[in-house]
Amino acid sequence: MVRLGRLSPHITRTGAGLVLGMACVPPLAVTLVALAWWPEAEAWRGLLAHPTFWVALRHSVFSATLATALAWLTCAAWCRWVMRQAQPGRLQRALPTMLATPHVALAVGVGLWLAPSGWLLRLFSPWATGFEWPPGWSTTQDPWALSLALVLWLKEAPFLCWVAAAHLQHRTHRQDWTRALVVAQTLGHGPNRAFALAVWPQLAPRLRWALLAVWAYGVSVVDVALVMGPTNPPTLAVWAWQGLHHGSSVQQGMGVAATWLVAALALAPTAWWWLRGTGLARAMAWLNAAVARCSPSALGLRWGAWLYAAVWLALSVGSVMGPWPFPDLLPSAWSPAAWASVLQAGHTLSDTVGLAVGAASLSVAYTVLWLECVPPQWQRRWQWLLWLPLVLPQVFWAMGLYGLALRVGAEGQWWAVCVAHAVMAVPYVWLVLAPAWQRVPAQHAVVMATLGRSPWAYRWHVKWPMLVPAVWVAWAMGYAVGLAQYLPTLAVGAGRLSTVTTEAVALSAGGQRVVGSAYALVQMLLPLAVFAGAHWAARGQRVGGKVA
Amino acid sequence: MNASGLWVQLNHLSTATRTLLRDLHFGVEPGQCLTLLGPSGVGKSTLLAAVAGALELMTSDETPPLRCDAQVWLNGRLISALPCHQRRVGLVWQQPTLFAHLTVAQNLLLAAPGGSKAQRQQQVVQALQHAGLAGFERRHPNTLSGGQASRVALMRALLAKPEVLLLDEPFAALDPALRSQLRTWVLAQAREQNIPVVLVTHLAQDIADPQRVLEIAGA
Repeated sequence: MVRLGRLSPHITRTGAGLVLGMACVPPLAVTLVALAWWPEAEAWRGLLAHPTFWVALRHSVFSATLATALAWLTCAAWCRWVMRQAQPGRLQRALPTMLATPHVALAVGVGLWLAPSGWLLRLFSPWATGFEWPPGWSTTQDPWALSLALVLWLKEAPFLCWVAAAHLQHRTHRQDWTRALVVAQTLGHGPNRAFALAVWPQLAPRLRWALLAVWAYGVSVVDVALVMGPTNPPTLAVWAWQGLHHGSSVQQGMGVAATWLVAALALAPTAWWWLRGTGLARAMAWLNAAVARCSPSALGLRWGAWLYAAVWLALSVGSVMGPWPFPDLLPSAWSPAAWASVLQAGHTLSDTVGLAVGAASLSVAYTVLWLECVPPQWQRRWQWLLWLPLVLPQVFWAMGLYGLALRVGAEGQWWAVCVAHAVMAVPYVWLVLAPAWQRVPAQHAVVMATLGRSPWAYRWHVKWPMLVPAVWVAWAMGYAVGLAQYLPTLAVGAGRLSTVTTEAVALSAGGQRVVGSAYALVQMLLPLAVFAGAHWAARGQRVGGKVA
Repeated sequence: MNASGLWVQLNHLSTATRTLLRDLHFGVEPGQCLTLLGPSGVGKSTLLAAVAGALELMTSDETPPLRCDAQVWLNGRLISALPCHQRRVGLVWQQPTLFAHLTVAQNLLLAAPGGSKAQRQQQVVQALQHAGLAGFERRHPNTLSGGQASRVALMRALLAKPEVLLLDEPFAALDPALRSQLRTWVLAQAREQNIPVVLVTHLAQDIADPQRVLEIAGA
């Protein structure tokens, strides 16, 4: 008779192999399909000779570079401010709300402020500007891509701060860096310079991957660029996406070539860094020197946090505005028509929530399996697979998803869109769950074992109850990420599925501000409600706990 | 090895780059307490983890993997091949390691042996009375003082009816008066249950029984 005890290592290994296989197949398949789509030489020639190509390329590089540099400097200023606080302040607590705000909703809200007939000019008109009519300025979708860079900066700076906060909250780092800050000041350097000399050089290298991700996102973003970016020509990523969906095969070929170029642009700094290129090191040195020179005050940072509140306000008012003559500060009449239109699109709301719930549940279940079943050394070796959806540019990834969906006949299927969203959510869910799993003290397993309780009893009574709050937060994160997907919905859904995100982008890019605002507000409220619910559930779990 | 009590024959305990301990033999009879004395870093705690079968559980990404060649007998049973939870070994560290999401009573319930729920709850109440912590059932670990938390951790280990109690400097964080009081209390409990105790310390004043001290200097 074969004893179960002898079989158990084999069962564990097989289970780990299965989970690992589940991790490998979707991202690798998508990547391989995208890689197989190499454009012909004619397409490359057509792309390089196209009259709008170089302008589109300039828009992408300029907006991504400006947003990345500003986000980096903002992050440095924020870290310096946090280092001086004994307790995490309001700015640190505001980060989750900023992170939970979808990119598209932020873009729509900022547009309502910045437009020539937007609130910013209304506040100063006519008493300061003399304008009785909206000026003919291009303040949104401007031909210099400045408004796009502004939105990317506002959205990416909190992300960098969030990554930095994880390092700053690490007890050992915090103690070491606080001591370093004190020592540098005892040597005669002012607080700002002491931070730039003693702390930032230790912290900055730890943020390098996040910085590269910010650049890659900025250069390859499509949904935000459709709402806020230039239109004639658009950014290269939008140009590529539009080319891929063009009826002409020549345009499609150029779209594929442009997609490859966007991918190369997005990954270029990473490759440069790996190859230890001097230019990148010089750029980093310049940015670090700028950190020492510029010193935005805490007041300035607070204004950044207030901008998010202003976006909320603009979307709320924008979604119920009726006639609103310029330069009145408030609409002359209110109208629920936009909300009636949202509520009438019941299938859009149900598809949105259903896809988000499915993506969150799948991504959490998968990540828990990964953390429980896959041995640590395998995790270290294969973890990069989970990151592919984040590392690869959106358009490139969408191209692979589209190709894969076509090959397996899943185009337009609800379940396929759900899986595509879940694959995108896994890296974010992993970011929440992995530290929680690592924080469970190893001694707890030993204590339970010395009490004569089995490993399953340990999991059931001790480990998993401790992790329930983190699982709730991770689920909410997966839900928010699933809900905000734009390109995967279009690429796999083949136009048969619409979500609040696809509607918000389509309406806002088409200039329908009122209904666009209502959809953007729904896009913000849905994840926020789930985050609040997760927080409430997690708190209840922390207070309770029971033992059989 | 048919004798009762704990008997350890350690051939070597090492990391990939250095040997921590080598050729170490010792035994403790029921009701006795052996003190393992030595400076920090020689491998005393690792030795206790090896006896408890917890080396693998304690290994993390930040610690080097450990190799151990040892035979451990407990009351005539060779336990070195058994997993930790089947060895019937109680282990208490300097940090009480109470489960923060559970109340004091729930922490103790995890250790209470079989029986009906009412019986197990009764055992917990009695144990808390015995430890001078009556009325602490519903308290959470983060509301306890260091001494109270240590007593709950010790009581939890004893409630599981272990066949040996391993103490890894469990009193080090307490003030001298409380440390002495708690040491006397736990040794009395162990004598009452007639189980051997191994106490690890780097302080000579913590020696429980001067007749039974094993000084460890490292390999």
